Amino acid sequence: MKDPAHRVEPKTPEELAAVVARCDATERKILILGGNTLTGMGLPPERLDVTLLTTALRGVVANERADLTLAVLAGTPLADLASLLAGQGRFIPFDAPRPQYATVGGTLAAGWLGPRRHLHGRPRDCLLGTTIALADGTLARAGGMVVKNVAGYDMSRLYTGSFGTLGVIVQANFKTLAAPPQTRLFLARLPERTRSRVCAQLAALAIQPAAAFWVEGFRNAIDGEDGVEGRILALLEGSDALLERATRDLRSAIGRAGVPETQVLDVGAREAFERVVDAYVATVGQRSVTYRFYPFAPEAERRARAVRALAQRFELKADTILDVMNGDVVLRVSDANAAALGAKIEIFDDALHEIEPRAQVVASQNAKRASLRVWGEPPEAIEQMRALKRRFDPNRTFNPGRFVGGI
Amino acid sequence: MLAQRLAGALGSDAVKTSPEDLSVYAFDAYADGAPPAAVVLPKTTADVCAIVKIARECNEPIVARGAGTGLCGGAVPAAGGIVVSFARMNRILELDAPNRRAHVQPGVINFDLSRHVASSGLFYGPDPSSQRISTIGGNIATNAGGPHCLSYGTTVNHVLALEVVDGEGDVFVTSIDDAGYDLTAALVGSEGTLGIVTGAWVRLLDLPEATRVWVAAFDDMESATEAVSAIVAAGMVPTALEIMDAVITQAVEAAFHAGYPTDAAASLLIESAGFEDDMDGCEAAMRTIVTAYGASSWRSARTQAERDALWAGRKGAAGATGRIAPNYYTQDVCVPRSRLPQALRAVAAAAAENRIVVGNVFHAGDGNLHPLLMYDKRDPKAVAAVVETGNAILQSAVDLGGTISGEHGIGSEKREAMTRIYSAGDLATMARVRDVFDPSRSLNPDKIFPRAIQSPDVPPA
Repeated sequence: MKDPAHRVEPKTPEELAAVVARCDATERKILILGGNTLTGMGLPPERLDVTLLTTALRGVVANERADLTLAVLAGTPLADLASLLAGQGRFIPFDAPRPQYATVGGTLAAGWLGPRRHLHGRPRDCLLGTTIALADGTLARAGGMVVKNVAGYDMSRLYTGSFGTLGVIVQANFKTLAAPPQTRLFLARLPERTRSRVCAQLAALAIQPAAAFWVEGFRNAIDGEDGVEGRILALLEGSDALLERATRDLRSAIGRAGVPETQVLDVGAREAFERVVDAYVATVGQRSVTYRFYPFAPEAERRARAVRALAQRFELKADTILDVMNGDVVLRVSDANAAALGAKIEIFDDALHEIEPRAQVVASQNAKRASLRVWGEPPEAIEQMRALKRRFDPNRTFNPGRFVGGI
Repeated sequence: MLAQRLAGALGSDAVKTSPEDLSVYAFDAYADGAPPAAVVLPKTTADVCAIVKIARECNEPIVARGAGTGLCGGAVPAAGGIVVSFARMNRILELDAPNRRAHVQPGVINFDLSRHVASSGLFYGPDPSSQRISTIGGNIATNAGGPHCLSYGTTVNHVLALEVVDGEGDVFVTSIDDAGYDLTAALVGSEGTLGIVTGAWVRLLDLPEATRVWVAAFDDMESATEAVSAIVAAGMVPTALEIMDAVITQAVEAAFHAGYPTDAAASLLIESAGFEDDMDGCEAAMRTIVTAYGASSWRSARTQAERDALWAGRKGAAGATGRIAPNYYTQDVCVPRSRLPQALRAVAAAAAENRIVVGNVFHAGDGNLHPLLMYDKRDPKAVAAVVETGNAILQSAVDLGGTISGEHGIGSEKREAMTRIYSAGDLATMARVRDVFDPSRSLNPDKIFPRAIQSPDVPPA
């Protein structure tokens, strides 16, 4: 490997495209890097000659307030965008970890799925258009700035979640949503034999919470204290009138499940929610590995318990988050030190994939990460995906080996 | 020869070859084309694979077809070949109510799906005006919209997984929950040029607890469109914001007695769905805004029957124009919402210049215009004037930062207009996707891509 410190940080899309074309022509491999917040997802690149930072491509290209649309350069941090939009009563539901560093382009490329997607949709559903730098240096546009557009293939959604293996997203156009007027967070410790019932009650609420989590562990990282069966956090969003009823409904649902006390937070609700999201990819030095998988919501609680039990059999510390509304399980296993974890993580990884074949590694700084089944079982259409990669990036210039099936 | 081989594989009752049968498949709701050489009606995915393999061996193109309600020639064969009709693959295979999803065959009619799942408290979101006859497969091919995609999004937001037969006759499955590229999203809206959808898992939504429908009347169109922008900008999220002009409401009232004012320059149909607790506040806020923008009246539909009548009128608007002229052409463009006043002025100017009667009925909340240009197709001058008017409207939308199709698709109609919004490089990038799924260009050829880049720029692998 050549000096991985060879970093370039182009200041314009055109400059970036020129760098890409030069690398492609000279067979130099590029690692694309935004805010370095989700680099624990996917495999490390099998070779890298140039680290291409998108972080200087920053700022709003167009903010059409009357149309509730917006175009931004890919290196813009999510937090900058969120604070601009919040001032105008708007938001885009990225809900990605560490938004002060995470970039728009990186979050899209990683296909990040946040906990409010059952209500507000995935980031791809707000995406109206993109500009991408292809390996040959073409800057290709797709979509536009209108909210409905069926002119040609939906290239923007294809680039979302492609891990930079088809090209480098340099600009993204979005529709923005109206920010909910009120937000409220519920916190409760779960006594014995309440967890299953609480999860079922939360999922069945007529006024769906914007997010609802069962958490066990993640002490100090996520608000609240564990009871015997962990704790729940639920976020409500909406008008004052709606929140009043939703609060009543939620309290009685939790009460019915046998949970005596609930703490309610109006101030700081949003921040507490963001701490949950941060925890999705928070590592414990080099001594943790975090997995994520996506069962259907009604089965998620049982499967979250099963992987916790498995971790405990391996004498690994298990911290878990269950996104009750989407059925999305995060399991972080850790040990006393990096070597102790390294000694058993590969067998644990095998055992985990026995019961959850699609579990993906989303965060780890442990040296063994590259030898784990980071992407889980390959998708059925892997051959079509490989063909797509060959057609877009025949020299494998972008992020070689980072993606599913060695793409 | 071709028909014999198809009949050999699928049985003779699955193949149609008589000229009178074939002539039916030379049309959609937009275009008259050439009849195909054969029409095949598969019953299974394996049938579709067999059809594609035979077509490849005989070097015949294939066009997949749902109900033929398309508005851009997408399902009309460009030059003979095989039409695959999904009329016999029309079963709802599974309703998974706890996970709010259904597994359907492509020939299932949109409205039938919603009706079927209603008893489980669910419905299917996308509701194109053709929903009583159009199929889920056709809706997927065009990424169909409808009035309610203002809040629910277009078809792509409702497709969870697809079973697809590619241009070589091989079947594959994609899911939005798979790791890897979002092939599902790439396939939705690809108008049958990347694969033939043989099955779909679609997302279902909870039926809302409360639904209210209101009609505000305006003395001028511009105020109505400004009110729409103001409603959206105020952070309200109605489920539909539809405008009809007087030409349309008069035709609709004559046909349906739906309950729209016939003397207003613009009628704004507003629907809000959600929770009862929000509805009074929502109505008050909405009414304040439309009043501030000069609404001359405000009517609340009191009963389900009144709501249904208003919606039936809205969805039947295009058909109702039969009272004005024997034919109509629907243009479909989308502009940034705040540009609606300019876009509508451009529509009026283009129609006036070409002496065409135009009626406007459109998804105002999305900035998605549907001017209906009325004419008599037996009059060649009128046909030419409609083409000219449609073209001018298309260009004005592009000039206003919009797009050449909001929800109907490109098909054969607008393929050459793709260069108005995309560069050759942009289009070549899209064509790379086609190189992967249909390298020989046998799936619905001569659609979407302009002639200049229709051919593969790499030899098939």
